Amino acid sequence: MTGDSKVKKRTMVKALNEALDLGMEAFPEMFLIGEDIGEMGGDFGVTRKLWAKYGEDRVRDTPLSEAAIIGACVGSAMVGMRPVAEIMFADFLGECYDQIVNNAAKLHYMFDGQFKASLVIRTACGGGFGGGPHHSQSVEGWFLNVPGLVIVAPSNPVDAKGLLLASIESDDPVLFLEHKALYRAKGEVPEGYYTTPLGTAAVARQGTDVTVVATMRMVPMALEAAEVLAEEGVSVEVIDLRTIRPYDADTVVDSVRRTGRAVVANEAPAVGGLGSELSARISQDCFHELLGPVVRVDGLDTPIPFSVELELLVLPEADRVIAAIRQAMTQPTRGRQ
Amino acid sequence: MDETTFASLYHDMWLIRAFEQGLESEFEKGNVPGMLHTGLGQEATQAALAAHLEATDAYFPDHRGHGINALAQQRHRGDGRRIMAELFGRSTGVCSGKGGSLHSADPLAGNFGDNAIEGSYMATVLGVALASKMRGESKVACAIIGDGTVGRGEFHESLNMAAIWELPVLYACVNNGYAIHTPVGKGHASADIVDLARGYGFPCEQVDGNDIDASYDLVERAVRHIRDGNGPFFVEFMTWRWQGVFTGEFRPADEVKYWREDHDPILMAADRLREMGWTDEHLDQVEREAHDTISYWIDFAKESPPPDPAKATADVYVGFEVAGS
Repeated sequence: MTGDSKVKKRTMVKALNEALDLGMEAFPEMFLIGEDIGEMGGDFGVTRKLWAKYGEDRVRDTPLSEAAIIGACVGSAMVGMRPVAEIMFADFLGECYDQIVNNAAKLHYMFDGQFKASLVIRTACGGGFGGGPHHSQSVEGWFLNVPGLVIVAPSNPVDAKGLLLASIESDDPVLFLEHKALYRAKGEVPEGYYTTPLGTAAVARQGTDVTVVATMRMVPMALEAAEVLAEEGVSVEVIDLRTIRPYDADTVVDSVRRTGRAVVANEAPAVGGLGSELSARISQDCFHELLGPVVRVDGLDTPIPFSVELELLVLPEADRVIAAIRQAMTQPTRGRQ
Repeated sequence: MDETTFASLYHDMWLIRAFEQGLESEFEKGNVPGMLHTGLGQEATQAALAAHLEATDAYFPDHRGHGINALAQQRHRGDGRRIMAELFGRSTGVCSGKGGSLHSADPLAGNFGDNAIEGSYMATVLGVALASKMRGESKVACAIIGDGTVGRGEFHESLNMAAIWELPVLYACVNNGYAIHTPVGKGHASADIVDLARGYGFPCEQVDGNDIDASYDLVERAVRHIRDGNGPFFVEFMTWRWQGVFTGEFRPADEVKYWREDHDPILMAADRLREMGWTDEHLDQVEREAHDTISYWIDFAKESPPPDPAKATADVYVGFEVAGS
């Protein structure tokens, strides 16, 4: 990570806004495209003031046409542009699923490297604010099975800025997930241009007894859980995956081989998601070191309900991470009885 | 149209027909993997488009676009064989055999590749056009679509966005009467697609897609309109495909006779050339030369080696490696 040594307390929204601003300055071929990202600055304010600075040609408002938005990104990338799209809510990705899966992700491969899909799709995902079934989903499972796609999922403003600039620089198509519950989270964000490498996890907290692998909103919860358990004498290592496709298996496997216990935490439903993949990988690659089975923390296997009371039941919170870690620590060690 | 241009288009149409007939024959022998969608009967639309699109333009062919791909490859890259080799899945193909019939591309020939999800590149074409407009180029971005594509939402998203941003898009709709087995009038609110396109407010014109003369002139006018910065243009070619469905011919005998015998684009063009003084011998020579060329292309494809096994995992990502088996 390069960049200025000066740091400021900033929200993730502001950190992302800075990254877009710096990217637009650095890359003349970059442009922003999406619904009400211009004068209005986007539904969450991530593109605020960029329209005034760069003009409507490079900060381009669109009709409610998600397929056309991502199509415009793929096509312009085919001739060397560097588009960054905003899809207002991740739930709307269904409207442009074909463009992402069949076009962007396969472009480089099926045409034998003749085109690059150098584009970023930013989108607001996740629950916890009463958004209901169509504004709250965790969509990473929809895309994990798509070779060619990069999926980035920051947990804090510092990484968000560096990862977004790295995504803009990348010649691969990046689905950039911004968890809505983290938009107002603050961090010590360095000034200036810096990148955080794609495909590398971060050890958010070092520990020796148990590894928690988490993404997005589950990272601060895992850190909170680690604090609580430290008081009970349990040393928790927290890994923030940051990029979930292709993900940094080495960091995960190295950690679990050291600690011998693993908890995987993400907000999405359990079946066929990141939790499944991580559990399988850890079980396969750390079999001889594991002291017990991998413990999973996921959202319930339901859509996201509107009522705040119901939503709290569906989404995993810190107490479930704490319970999972305790389970990992206390479950009987492996071996034939 | 002068005789030289007409003769050149006649030659192009025969190259397409010979290409598709040769391919069909190899497919029936089991030498071509996958599926086969030929452009037989639609040669005039493809020849007219190929004549006006430059290597610096960008066109997205439809799934019956082998012919225009071969013409563009031959004209702009000097080697049409590589389109044939791609359809055989060979290493010498334009995509080293990774794309095949439905995903052959060579941007240096202006060929931006088919996408086998009908309508998908209705959205993609917007981006090429947008980049061209932002850079102040006079590139034409062309989406060649079938009538069935009109059922897709992208059709409307695309026409709307091209209209509001005045993008340099040529929509070339090949109305061959059927989306697989469904007649165009049964599947859409109008059997004339231009009726559906006109609401977006840019020029939409229909032409007899088997009349090479009229098709050539209309494409020329549409391309000039776009290059002059006047925004999108929609052309609907009324034509008919020879190929039936997997169960065989399903259309009425009189309809088949009309399109294959009375209104065949090549027979119609031959009549015009006879009026210009061409002899049957001269006409036959064009046909024979086309078949000879294609026969050589097929031999080239069949003799080419398969792709390097490393290609299976190459180019999944630009920035990451994917492990092989």
